[in-house]
Amino acid sequence: MDFSYAYPDLFLAVVALFVTGALLPLLLNTRRGAIAAFVPAAIASALTAALSTLILFSGSTIRLAPPLTASIPSIGIALYIDGVSAFFMLIIGLVATAVSIYSLGYSGGSEEKRGVRSVGFLINLFVLSMILVVATNNVFSFLLFWELMSLTSFLLVIHEDEKPGTLKSGITYLIMTHIGTAFITAAFLILYFSTGSLSFDAFRSSAGQLAPFTKDAVFILALLGFGTKAGLVPMHIWLPKAHPSAPSNVSALMSGVMLKVAIYGLVRVTFDFVVPSSPGDAWLGLLMVAAGSSSALVGVLYAAVEHDIKRALAYHSVENIGIIVLGLGLSVVFLSYGLATLAALALLASMYHSLNHAVFKGLLFMGAGSVVLKTGTADMNLMGGLAKKMPWTAMFFLIGSIAIAGLPPLNGFVSEWLTMQALLSSYQVPNQVLQVSIGFASVAFALTLGLALATFVKLFGISFLARPRSAGAERASEVPRTMVAGMAVAGILCVVLGVLPFVATSAVASAFHLDLGLITPYSPLGPLAVGYTASGLSSISSLSMPTVLILTGSVGAAVFGFVVLAGSGRKPVVRPYTTWEGGFGPLGERTEYTATSLSQPIRTVFKTFYRPHTSIKREYFSDSNHLVRKSVSVVSETREVFEDYLYSPVVGGTLFLLDKVRRIQTGKINSYLLYMMIATVSLLLLAVFQF
Amino acid sequence: MIAYDITLGADAVKITVIGILQAAGIFALAPLLTGVMRKVKAKRQKRVGASVIQPYYDLLKLLKKDEVVSEHASWVFQWTPWIVAASTMSAALFIPIFVPFSPVSSAGDILVVLGLFALARFFVMLAGIDTASAFGGIGVSREMMMSSLAEPGLFLTVFVISLTFGGTNLTSLVGAAAQSGVVIAPSVLFGFIAFFIITLAETGRLPFDNPATHLELTMVHEAMVLEYSGRGLALIQWSQSIKQLLLLGLMVDLFLPIGMPASADASLALLGFGAAAVVVKVVLLAVVISYLETRVAKWRLFRLPDLFTMAIASAMVGMIVFYL
Repeated sequence: MDFSYAYPDLFLAVVALFVTGALLPLLLNTRRGAIAAFVPAAIASALTAALSTLILFSGSTIRLAPPLTASIPSIGIALYIDGVSAFFMLIIGLVATAVSIYSLGYSGGSEEKRGVRSVGFLINLFVLSMILVVATNNVFSFLLFWELMSLTSFLLVIHEDEKPGTLKSGITYLIMTHIGTAFITAAFLILYFSTGSLSFDAFRSSAGQLAPFTKDAVFILALLGFGTKAGLVPMHIWLPKAHPSAPSNVSALMSGVMLKVAIYGLVRVTFDFVVPSSPGDAWLGLLMVAAGSSSALVGVLYAAVEHDIKRALAYHSVENIGIIVLGLGLSVVFLSYGLATLAALALLASMYHSLNHAVFKGLLFMGAGSVVLKTGTADMNLMGGLAKKMPWTAMFFLIGSIAIAGLPPLNGFVSEWLTMQALLSSYQVPNQVLQVSIGFASVAFALTLGLALATFVKLFGISFLARPRSAGAERASEVPRTMVAGMAVAGILCVVLGVLPFVATSAVASAFHLDLGLITPYSPLGPLAVGYTASGLSSISSLSMPTVLILTGSVGAAVFGFVVLAGSGRKPVVRPYTTWEGGFGPLGERTEYTATSLSQPIRTVFKTFYRPHTSIKREYFSDSNHLVRKSVSVVSETREVFEDYLYSPVVGGTLFLLDKVRRIQTGKINSYLLYMMIATVSLLLLAVFQF
Repeated sequence: MIAYDITLGADAVKITVIGILQAAGIFALAPLLTGVMRKVKAKRQKRVGASVIQPYYDLLKLLKKDEVVSEHASWVFQWTPWIVAASTMSAALFIPIFVPFSPVSSAGDILVVLGLFALARFFVMLAGIDTASAFGGIGVSREMMMSSLAEPGLFLTVFVISLTFGGTNLTSLVGAAAQSGVVIAPSVLFGFIAFFIITLAETGRLPFDNPATHLELTMVHEAMVLEYSGRGLALIQWSQSIKQLLLLGLMVDLFLPIGMPASADASLALLGFGAAAVVVKVVLLAVVISYLETRVAKWRLFRLPDLFTMAIASAMVGMIVFYL
């Protein structure tokens, strides 16, 4: 049956529901405010997911132009939802559904939490603006909703402004996001000057005819602009500050979804407006590969030594965005050389990872939010033992950790498998410089995967296992059911997307009109397999996650049977006893490993990158002649290389320059009159000589 | 790149039966390999040493014993041995060791095998933290550093192998290696160096880790599993032996494929001869590794990155040589 006539109405219903969710809580008290805000948000998000799935698989498109603004074609709101928009709407819808359910408990649970209503208002507008950004079809509405998205998220970041540093993070975010917007606007302006229109339709139709230099300029400006919003190195510095400062449900949305909106912009500009088509465009792809692989590595290196659970997750977002952009870059390289199958494979990997990252990062931030709410701290060194006190949160956080670490059988593994296949196929690019460069990107990618595994051992192990290391962790208890339900939605998605990869691959294929027949011709396992042949029979790679899971399960069952038989059928007695402490008697929790001590070898091995700095302060009893110490304090920190060596000089230089410029503001009316005269005369001269 | 036809022949029954026998052989022979390596090492150290079948006695004894579980540990500690055993042993199904094919290799390739090994390691590391002991922590902390460097080495080795033999499907990789005989191509040799170093690290041999010690200054893997007893310990030790056999077998099949028939269609006699050759070669390789172990001491922890860097660099050189 064809329901496509109802799609525009459904879309308007989504918008109306979000607006209701935004306005309703303002009229009600705190407790009801949460329900009033997040029940419509959950319904609207679920509806968004359903609608975008329908659009994706029916192959239809929606075109909407609100009648009020349709009279001015280029400065008005125009919406056009095609497969690509629908795919990103699906990502937004899925994560927002989980987060809305979670927020019912997170924001509504505690009465003393102030400003629940304003959070409800802002979150609804935030999610709505993201949906509208991916649905817009001209520059004006794109920038309008983009700005709405940035501002609502800024207000959400500074919401918990009683925490120290929150305002500073918020300001950093505000500045960086507007630098990004400036680049994006510049890219659109160049497109406007070469096409004469502000409509995306015009950009699309003249895609092939851009002059080579214009093409490069648009691409690089878009990469800088959207890269800033997505958190690509070295424009990432706002991300690890802003995401942890926000309330955790907002962090989940920002890391899980908002970064994907930036990826959407990059995809739209790259594959719709710029369209790499000749080997001369390959260097643009290589630029993306370089940016992506260095983001991945830098993000995971910082995450590896971080002990703040939310900041570590934020750094992991930098890493995963890097993996996504690496895939996009490979796709551009392959496309430039006309390797359509490989370009489709790399794009599939990248988009699959976008979907996966949205789901598991949303899940992990929700889990971290539960932990922070119950222990009162985000410092992993002060956690521990939560697996017993918060069993459900622990289980879902473990699922998220396995997924993001790229381990089978969950979803992260499948998209990273596809990314590796794209990297392994780079030998088909007929250019040795590119081959070797992509080889170096593979090293960075492989190192990233190794470090990500280590980091998530730390994140899960130190937070949830062993004994509690603080009174807060000792007192922790399981979170309300709505929060568990929100995590469960995301957790189940992680499992489904991992075990049944064809769900995601077919969604990506219909969104981007990829010919999956090219990618999965080798499939004795039918639709269950993700596989591809690169060139005839000489290179075969295939993967069937259901089969892997069934085999692992049956092997596990067989081992269990064997162990029972070999143990002569007797059920062994399991005796609980204290951990062996080396014969010293019971040791306190302070002898346990912490996040900081666990990552010490990594910090030492990569010390050229971290530039660790330890200062020891000793205080002595004055009458002891420097023999008896009163106290010793050790401060050990790693440097933010990018802030110290890239941003500080720029900020310092700007301030110095502005200080000089300030001298013209003397405060004397005479000088201001002089300035005005100079300005008038120069304008007149300009008019006369027609510069 | 070597072209290799992956079709496994028409005889599905033969393929399946041999595949099951191969997996059973891996599970059954893995402890024997551990015993052989211990025996060689003992002889070199002028000791008599335990019998080569001692690991079997150990496993059977442990399976019959009761368990002591730390009261601080959670369900992660209890589940870890089962997850480790299931993932390591199912990895064995995907790898052709004794014959040049595995019936399920199109469902899971070499990257799945690496993923399953990584899953096992992930849980062993979690279990090390879970007992709230500083011993576990120190092992995990060292393993975190080593595994994060071993992973890129292993992946790059796979990269070189995949470039040379085509694809990531293990049946096609091993088949292509067997078809080409011993490849004296520079890329393969560099890949072999990297794979050898990484195998020593992954199986916890000297100079990375000493499998025979429980000294807190040096132990890595043993520190993580220190709290295990009874069934749990048996499963982890058995899985460790299996992983060792798998990596050594894979190394032999990819880099020294002498005697291995190139196709599943070969006669049973040829396949049997190939399997016997693999056993001989794996034992020889194990003897070499054990001999090396008596010649080197455990390296200081922060010198190990040098070895890993050597492996990574070697694989990189192999890759670049392949392209040039």
